[in-house]
Amino acid sequence: MLRTITPRNARVKRVLKNREAKTEENIKTAIFVRGSQTSQIVNNALADLYMLKKPHAINFTKKNEIHPFEDQSNLQFFSQKNDASLFVVGTHSKKRPHTLTFARMFDHQLLDMIEVSIQHGIPMKDIKTPKSAIGMKPCFLFNGDVWEQNPHYIMFKSMLLDFYHGQTVDKVALAGLEYVISVTAGPLTSEGKPGKIYLRTYTIQLKRSGVKLPRIELVEMGPSLDMTFGRIMEAKPDVWKQSMRVPKELKPKKKKNVSKDEMGDTIGRIHLGRQDFDKIQTRKMKGLKKRTSEDKDEGSSDKKQRVDDSDDDE
Amino acid sequence: MDVSGVLEAHKQKFKSVTVEGKIIPVEYDLGLLAAYDQNPVDEGELNKNKDEYLQSLSRDNAQLLFNEIFQLPTISDDNGVMAMLPTPTTLLPREKPLPKPKPETRWEKFAKAKGIVKRKKERMVFDETSGEYKPRWGYKAINDDGTKDWLIEVPAGANPMDDQYEARREAKKERIDRNEKRHQRNMEEAAVASKLDRKTVNKGERPNMDNARAMKRKELESQILITKNSTASVGKFDKAIEGDLKPRGIKRQFAPTITDLSKEKAGNMNILDKIVGKNGEDLVNVRKAIKATKRQ
Repeated sequence: MLRTITPRNARVKRVLKNREAKTEENIKTAIFVRGSQTSQIVNNALADLYMLKKPHAINFTKKNEIHPFEDQSNLQFFSQKNDASLFVVGTHSKKRPHTLTFARMFDHQLLDMIEVSIQHGIPMKDIKTPKSAIGMKPCFLFNGDVWEQNPHYIMFKSMLLDFYHGQTVDKVALAGLEYVISVTAGPLTSEGKPGKIYLRTYTIQLKRSGVKLPRIELVEMGPSLDMTFGRIMEAKPDVWKQSMRVPKELKPKKKKNVSKDEMGDTIGRIHLGRQDFDKIQTRKMKGLKKRTSEDKDEGSSDKKQRVDDSDDDE
Repeated sequence: MDVSGVLEAHKQKFKSVTVEGKIIPVEYDLGLLAAYDQNPVDEGELNKNKDEYLQSLSRDNAQLLFNEIFQLPTISDDNGVMAMLPTPTTLLPREKPLPKPKPETRWEKFAKAKGIVKRKKERMVFDETSGEYKPRWGYKAINDDGTKDWLIEVPAGANPMDDQYEARREAKKERIDRNEKRHQRNMEEAAVASKLDRKTVNKGERPNMDNARAMKRKELESQILITKNSTASVGKFDKAIEGDLKPRGIKRQFAPTITDLSKEKAGNMNILDKIVGKNGEDLVNVRKAIKATKRQ
């Protein structure tokens, strides 16, 4: 276990404060770590995924005796030490060749994990095209009909979004959208098992189209990975539920009496006070004039006077 | 004048921004800049020329996504044109649990009960004697709790020879000390509270302080008992003090006379290992022993 640090100066204190649980969280940091044996394909993939995740990423250059599906203590230690909650572990063995394990932590404990095996990969440096700048916000495309069907696909999609979406923002510079991560799911195998997935990254070019919207052209940037799914470890339901809680401050405030119908039109309900029919202004006619005050009681004669005055003006 | 021809020619110059052939409409999560295309992929095309197919598919979906993004309301900023994004619809897990509310201090609880609301006071106040603004407290503060008065009336019944300035300084120091003690107490109670009852803390309520006291008392008692045994005779020859704490709940334990043979053997072997050394390994660090003897 890590020793608990007691801050001795303001800088450490600030850092520790930044690590505390908060309603609006920091961008998740990812650690890219090599297992005891890796292949060149895995190394390249790790380097490229690291480049995409920069600057919120830590690259471990040394090999580590690490087997995430057997023992998670290493990951927990790294997570605590570096205040990181995302991991990519690259390993290579005869049984599971060219493997990347994507793992997520919650409260420095393992939340869920998915393993993919690279069938074919082209690193970023082998594709001689312009690259996007570091730290840009990517767009995501998930193509295929299976993304919602199978726990493997659901988790991988959630994992990729979690890795690369960065800070949740309310506005984005249109000129800053430089690249897109496109993940296409191939068809399921004949036994109904998850098939291949194709991860591609492209830089975006906005071309003139003669209309207001731009014409999009994509240029492959790399990395390009064809993968199959391996083992999976899903989150425990209670931990998952805890991790998905939204703080009260961030929940959208309910607007009273405003709703949307099926057509997407906004419907509002307005409450009016009780209408006083005595004071309602209708067309003025002599015959409809109030004469009650004069006939019944003398006390409110001044009111009657006022009504007469206004009539005189017209 | 017929301009349709001109418009047509103009249109021909550019490629289209519309995408056709999507049977199921593409879903978007613009908060995450993501598009989910649920249409099945073309298997034959994917096998035949994979990269071209993937690129064209991605281009089409990127076009659709950008059409949506560019239709969002925009504002102009120093960073150029910014599109206002809606909140993401795809929920992603948090990194850490929700922050716990801080346990209330005694004063906060009292103020809440009495309906006392905290008011903001200005840091700088006008000092009439010098005619300028001075800090309310701290370094170079305005009249520091009366210690800077140029004249102090001797209170009735006080010794006229006593230093009233000194008295005021003392009083101030005492107040500060008392406050520091209270602060300490609040911290201790908060620490206990975090151990005690998670439910009450989560609600932001103070836990039952009787429990907190009992916990503290237990801790102290155990510490006292430890110190009593920490003498050279393990507390045997110390004089007993009347009304002193007696260790409770500690009983001598005897091994049963008849027991599992393997357990007994294991126990005896354990002792033997400690004395003789396990599996013939040395109990003595030879290098250290040599060093020690040499020194002598």
